[in-house]
Amino acid sequence: MNTFTKEGSAPKLDPARWVDRYGDALYAFAMIRLRDRAAAEDVVQETFVSALHSMQNFRGHSSEKTWLTAILKHKILDYFRQKGREGKQQNLETTQDNIRSLFDEKGHWREGPSKWNTNPRVFFEQKEFMKVLYDCIGELTKRVGKAFVLREMDGLSTEEICKVLNITADNCWVMLYRARTLLRQCLEMNWFEGSSDGAA
Amino acid sequence: MRPWIFNCREVTRLVSESLDRELPLYQRIGIRLHLSMCRFCSRYRKQLLFIKEAIARCDEKNCSEEIFEPLSDEVRERMKQALAHSGDSNFTE
Repeated sequence: MNTFTKEGSAPKLDPARWVDRYGDALYAFAMIRLRDRAAAEDVVQETFVSALHSMQNFRGHSSEKTWLTAILKHKILDYFRQKGREGKQQNLETTQDNIRSLFDEKGHWREGPSKWNTNPRVFFEQKEFMKVLYDCIGELTKRVGKAFVLREMDGLSTEEICKVLNITADNCWVMLYRARTLLRQCLEMNWFEGSSDGAA
Repeated sequence: MRPWIFNCREVTRLVSESLDRELPLYQRIGIRLHLSMCRFCSRYRKQLLFIKEAIARCDEKNCSEEIFEPLSDEVRERMKQALAHSGDSNFTE
């Protein structure tokens, strides 16, 4: 087995164990963003192979997992750029109608947001809550969902998102607005209004 | 003309946008004015911030792992094979 060490104190790379140790975590990371099982598997596999070829670039400043995740993030961005070039307009019109119907002709809420009970118990039931949240994110159409995960999970700036998705800044802000609004609505319907102490 | 007066639809759009860039002063004032009088839009804003934080917190602990099913054995094997056959001397089992 070939391992790289730096003065014996930095983390070592152990490729023979990568799949077993990090496969599931990297796959989950990819699935949230790509929402496509085959694409997620491909991109994780590419990450492992790519990492194997660039082991000499590992400086030991981060953990093995963090380093692999960074490579995966780049692969995911490449995938999005690729899709952006293919230029498929998906369902943007539907989200527009969904948002418009929330407000009347004067721009007032037809049915305003209800009060959410966000006391610590929500975080106590974290796993169930996060499942609903991730499902709602999955409900977002591919296009607005991409902008949303890149912004909220990967912390990309608007400029960076524009470059990756091949859109204008204005498109980006509109997509993020739609994503957040629809997500809020989904969460309200599927979590907060479901339980007895969810809505106040 | 009162450019700092916005309706709810406009305010929700501006609130979202304020999370991505700095808005001009008259819009910031307008939002604040509207929020002070509109409980729906106040909730909207609070809830957007709540969602933002929930995602940020979960990502740190990488709890997404528990949401998706683990890789199947076949897929794991396939990946291991791909690594072994990638022709790189770095990989020895």
